[in-house]
Amino acid sequence: MSLVQQLARTAATMAKGHLVTLRELFRKPMTIHYPDEPVPHPVGFRSIPVLKVNEESGKLNCTACGLCARSCPPAIIFVESFIGEDGRRKQWPAKFDLDLSRCMVCNLCVEACPFDALEMSEDAELSAYTIEDLYFTMDELAALWKTSRSVRIAGGQKV
Amino acid sequence: MQPEWMAPWLWTLILAVVKTIVVIAFVSLNAAVLIWLERKVSGHMQNRVGPLRVGGPAGILQSVADIIKLLAKEDFVPQRGDRWIWWLAPSVAFAPAFLVFWVLPFGPHLVVEDFNVGLIFITAVTSFTLLSIFMAGWGSNDKYSLIGAMRAGAQLFSYEIPMAMALVAVALATGTLNLTAIVEKQRHMWLIVPQILAFLVFYISSVAELNRTPFDLAEAESELVAGYHTEYSGIRWSMFFFAEYTNLLTSSALAAILFLGGWHGPWLPGWAWLLIKTYLLVFVGMWIRWTLPRVRIDQLMDLGWKFLLPVSLVNIAATGLYLVVVR
Repeated sequence: MSLVQQLARTAATMAKGHLVTLRELFRKPMTIHYPDEPVPHPVGFRSIPVLKVNEESGKLNCTACGLCARSCPPAIIFVESFIGEDGRRKQWPAKFDLDLSRCMVCNLCVEACPFDALEMSEDAELSAYTIEDLYFTMDELAALWKTSRSVRIAGGQKV
Repeated sequence: MQPEWMAPWLWTLILAVVKTIVVIAFVSLNAAVLIWLERKVSGHMQNRVGPLRVGGPAGILQSVADIIKLLAKEDFVPQRGDRWIWWLAPSVAFAPAFLVFWVLPFGPHLVVEDFNVGLIFITAVTSFTLLSIFMAGWGSNDKYSLIGAMRAGAQLFSYEIPMAMALVAVALATGTLNLTAIVEKQRHMWLIVPQILAFLVFYISSVAELNRTPFDLAEAESELVAGYHTEYSGIRWSMFFFAEYTNLLTSSALAAILFLGGWHGPWLPGWAWLLIKTYLLVFVGMWIRWTLPRVRIDQLMDLGWKFLLPVSLVNIAATGLYLVVVR
């Protein structure tokens, strides 16, 4: 390749490269300003399990059977059934606590639940300054279900 | 302007101090703005937004926040380094960047010192950058710093020569070494038209002298950590940074003065035209930096010795021939 050809090729490729960067300079940036702008989650994105509430009766679907607690790999679901005045176990929970600091978001508790009482929430903005703040009680989980969109892995809409 | 009661030496001293303060203020402000601009340009060229949060809608005060951060940083001193040389290097880096400003004419009478040998002064003073880089590399007692400084030495030495040759062609074409007179000669035609080769050689060499990509071998991050300023932190490191951006401005201003007609231009005042041309060239420098990849050291040497030097020599010969034959 002669020197002139080489020079011409160098100039051409350099001009090409500079035009690319100049075009990108005036293109809209791809940045999403996250805390100010919402980031759309992909379909199936899931956060922690939350407790479903029956919208007619206003009570939890949960019967405190404890299958979710048994299926939980890190064992972070703590369920106790309500004990009535007659000393018998009732069909609703007295305690349903979840330790989010150790939750691995595996969805196994939702799959184990025979009463459709659990659902994975889509709300991932749950960060806190202390580990104690990541310990959710029954009422907090029910409240979270009301405020956040839920995910169903198998499809279908939230009712 | 001088009052009657004042001794001449006192008046000279006061004038010198005031001029120095004005130049330092301009240089510092300019460096802060250029750092912000570089980050903005690089961000947008990579489809990012660059600094955004500090000060106003475009993050224009980002550099101010950075300066505060750098002032508050720990001043690390390498234990086995050559302490005095290490301490002096940032100041020596800043001095030439700042000295060149004294001869740059911003208008027919807007110049700090109107030297008759301005062109020679500039080539002499800019070479001091090499000294500071080598002082930093040697004083750090660090392999990365020393390798970076040695590369910088080879590179700056190689590109000083084509740059000086390009300036010789300018001096030949205009018949003077005084920068004000050179700009005055370009009233009817900018020097870039007859001296396009000299301009290209000068601009490529000045990018190489500035140690900017594609010629940033002296501080190649991927192989040398940060080159000669690896061991520097805080305010000393920021002095190198300031010197680098001041050098970018001075070399762009010099290119605008020598080749793009300096302060000549319609409607606007002269200094405004010079600043517009200068910052346009600064932008071109950033554009080049964020487009081209780094060259290899042998390619760098080849470009300097085997291409730019012959081209600038041919250009000198052609200019001389033209002057002999036509005039």
